[in-house]
Amino acid sequence: MNATTRKEMEMLLSALMDDALSAEQKVHLETLLRSDWECRRFYLESMDQHAKLLTAPAVAAGKLHTPKIIRRSKHAWFSLAAAAAILMLAGLSYLAGGKMQTTKETNTEEQTGQGCAIISQTMEAKFAEGSQVPTQGAMLSPGRLHLTSGMVKIEFFSGATLLAEGDVELDIHSAWEVACLKGQVRVRVPPPAQGFRLHAPGMNLVDLGTEFGVHVDAKGSAEVHVFEGEVEAHPNEAEMRLLTEGQSLKRTSDNQISSGNAQPNNFTSIERLNEISLQYAQARFDAYWTHTFELRKDPRLIACYLFKHWENDRWDRLVNNFTEPRNPSRGGGAVGVKWTQGRWPMKDALEFKGPGDRVRINLGAEKYDAMTLATWVRVDGVDRKYSALLLTDGYEPGEPHWQIYEDGSLMFSIAYPRPSSEDKTKKFNQIYYSPSIFNQSNLRRWHHIAVTYDNQSGQAIQYLDGVEISREVNSHHVPGRAVTFGPSEIGNWGLPTENHQFPIRNLNGRMDEFLIYKAALSPAEIFTLYEAGKPD
Amino acid sequence: MDATTRQTEALILLLTQHQDQLFRYIFALLPNEADARDAMQETSLALYRKFEQYDEDKPFLPWAYRFAYLEVLKQRSRSQRQPLSFSEDVLELLADERQNLEPHLENRLRALDGCLQKLPAEERQLVTYRYDQRRPVEEIMEHLGQSRRTLFRNLERVRRLLHDCVTQHLEVAS
Repeated sequence: MNATTRKEMEMLLSALMDDALSAEQKVHLETLLRSDWECRRFYLESMDQHAKLLTAPAVAAGKLHTPKIIRRSKHAWFSLAAAAAILMLAGLSYLAGGKMQTTKETNTEEQTGQGCAIISQTMEAKFAEGSQVPTQGAMLSPGRLHLTSGMVKIEFFSGATLLAEGDVELDIHSAWEVACLKGQVRVRVPPPAQGFRLHAPGMNLVDLGTEFGVHVDAKGSAEVHVFEGEVEAHPNEAEMRLLTEGQSLKRTSDNQISSGNAQPNNFTSIERLNEISLQYAQARFDAYWTHTFELRKDPRLIACYLFKHWENDRWDRLVNNFTEPRNPSRGGGAVGVKWTQGRWPMKDALEFKGPGDRVRINLGAEKYDAMTLATWVRVDGVDRKYSALLLTDGYEPGEPHWQIYEDGSLMFSIAYPRPSSEDKTKKFNQIYYSPSIFNQSNLRRWHHIAVTYDNQSGQAIQYLDGVEISREVNSHHVPGRAVTFGPSEIGNWGLPTENHQFPIRNLNGRMDEFLIYKAALSPAEIFTLYEAGKPD
Repeated sequence: MDATTRQTEALILLLTQHQDQLFRYIFALLPNEADARDAMQETSLALYRKFEQYDEDKPFLPWAYRFAYLEVLKQRSRSQRQPLSFSEDVLELLADERQNLEPHLENRLRALDGCLQKLPAEERQLVTYRYDQRRPVEEIMEHLGQSRRTLFRNLERVRRLLHDCVTQHLEVAS
């Protein structure tokens, strides 16, 4: 070990000891440990010293700090240690003379997520019973994943990407390690994920920054094919082989190793996935768009915003009302929001991010007996007390407000004056909450949400993805009082009743359809809206 | 005293005698304290369950290390810190080598106490903060008015001083 390597080792090990080692440094450290026994010795000596200082600081640090156990008689030390051993056997933590770790007390626990990968794309994917059944965009935890048909793209937190198609059984160990038990997968490993390991029956593959495919047949034979770069293949009970571009290696279930004859075309390619998913998205979009032709003619519609962006709209701020016959006066004006991708690559949506972002609409002074609000929304975060969906300016009698409450629930409310009160400003705020629906697990995904209300029954029903999630009559309900909108806003709250600083209520997310009806749609109708518009 | 109790007592004695060594073995393969402690705990339980297989005429540690190694593998796949844990081939190398080096490592630790005494006052204080009092890095930074970089460099230096001192001590002794 020369002086440079020694210096490097010191730096890496200190980073390791102080919890500051990056994944890249760890890969580098491994390389040093593999290649040089002196590095291994230095590592072992250093870690031993570190462990000693950690477990028995009082002993090791001498009189630096109140010594507790040191210099006691052998007998006393022994019984104390025996007590520790008994605690240990009872399942308590290892206390060995050292102090318990003092950790900083904080009131708010940091949120933690579980998982080591994201399913970033799915294409008609079906999963076996007993497998994780993830939806697109979902996080994957370590464990079995058994795809029976279709395609998935998995992006590991290490940076490696895996494509699987058809009947594929995976056992995900971590962001850095996965086993392919059956079927064929293709893995792409960018430089930061170098060292990503894929296990196949009887063979372990360590990727050195490349693209390769693995096929495991029903009899348990495994074959690896390198498309690009290098892969270390470690067959059980045989020498490691370094495979380079274009090379294959096959290991049969009876341990015969041969250079394989895998064809690159037999493996799913990213191009194929992209092409097929684009075709699929186009088909879904076409079906949806055709469905809207009928939908737009529904006479119960007050407004129908489909968020289609016209190429030739030079100002780019018009949010068209698509009701048939057309009623341009109910078109919306986009403020701050940006056009972005909706449920499919060919579908537009509006993105709400800044506190000023909103779509202004004016639905007139008409009064209604019932209403439905229905929207496709992708919530990116519930980061304030109220996140607006649709709110009327102010909050006058009969005006509905629909928002996402801070706990992730849908909050529909409507205000009416108190029947007995002379003072018109005294109102009963009739609020209806759904159970909490937006949380870390479903943010950043498209969902259909809806609320219906009718002024006879007083029932407010809220829906998520076509399914009823809450139904309630407010205790202050008085039948027959009208619903009205007037000037309103989508995704924000325009003009609060009180004339001081405006509260920040903008939605953090995207919308790509917003329908407003003057009737309470039936559960079946809401379900149809969801079915016709669901992304996949 | 029945046989089970006698066995449990025997194991407690052995573990008491060797727990530090066992922990250091695990820690070398799983260099994160929380993970190493979990693996240590699981190892203790595994040893307890399998203790009837233990042959008293043979040394305890090599037998215990086999269980510890398996628990390291298990803990490694459970741990959230897995991206930072070593590949299996590196683990094997380290585990083998460590068993060969063990007498040497024990010698080194015996010299460590003396070397701690010889540390300059500032460095000794740093050892007290980092290891004895387990203060969080942020707190030490604030307390000593050092940047994170400086503090990490100083910790690195203390470790080097100790390592060199121990090496020197052993050379003189032999």
